[in-house]
Amino acid sequence: MIESQFSQTTLQIILLAMIALLIPASYRVVVGAKLSDRLLAVDLITTLLIGIIVLFALIEGSETFIDMAIALAAFSFIGTISIARYISEGRVF
Amino acid sequence: MLLEILGIGWLTFGLFFCAIGVLGVLRMPDVYTRLHASGKVATLGLFGLLMGAVFLMPSIFLKVLALGLFILLTSPVATHAIAASEYRRKELVDEIAEMQHLDHEIKSVDVSAFLYSSNIKDIIEAQQRTHHNGENKKDDL
Repeated sequence: MIESQFSQTTLQIILLAMIALLIPASYRVVVGAKLSDRLLAVDLITTLLIGIIVLFALIEGSETFIDMAIALAAFSFIGTISIARYISEGRVF
Repeated sequence: MLLEILGIGWLTFGLFFCAIGVLGVLRMPDVYTRLHASGKVATLGLFGLLMGAVFLMPSIFLKVLALGLFILLTSPVATHAIAASEYRRKELVDEIAEMQHLDHEIKSVDVSAFLYSSNIKDIIEAQQRTHHNGENKKDDL
């Protein structure tokens, strides 16, 4: 837990900015133009979410959120790889 | 106090690169250039955020190190997979277009529609249909 008021406020402002960055990324998911664009944007959103979880762990002062970030990174990697394979080959396995 | 200022400096660095990457994904014209921009978020942006986290809370150093190493390993692989899938899909569509160009007699489906089709089975079915029609024509002649 960070005690100083200045750091706490700055962390919350940075967290809000990161959450605001999710909006243009989801615009790319909706508009897309191609399948790969949508997949890329979903990957980008997961990366931003990992950053948001790390910032949230700093604000709350709790280590447990970092474990959530690690799990999210692992599942995002598997999902991206399998969908990319589906796009190019027409099947996953 | 010094550690907090350093940490917030790193966090701002990461936020800056995240914003640059999202802007690039929004504005770039092509899938490959968009991949270039989104790679900046995964490496420089998250690197800055994780460095800031270590400076602000030194007790989470090991977990953050594990997360950083994992992202450093997997992010280029995921980016490469997306780029390769886009390239192979394009190759497949080009192949079908060339085949249609060779078969003058067959009036087949419009290829450009399949560039935006969500299901690759449509393309493969169209390919098989084209082959099938060609054999029928030869038998008739």
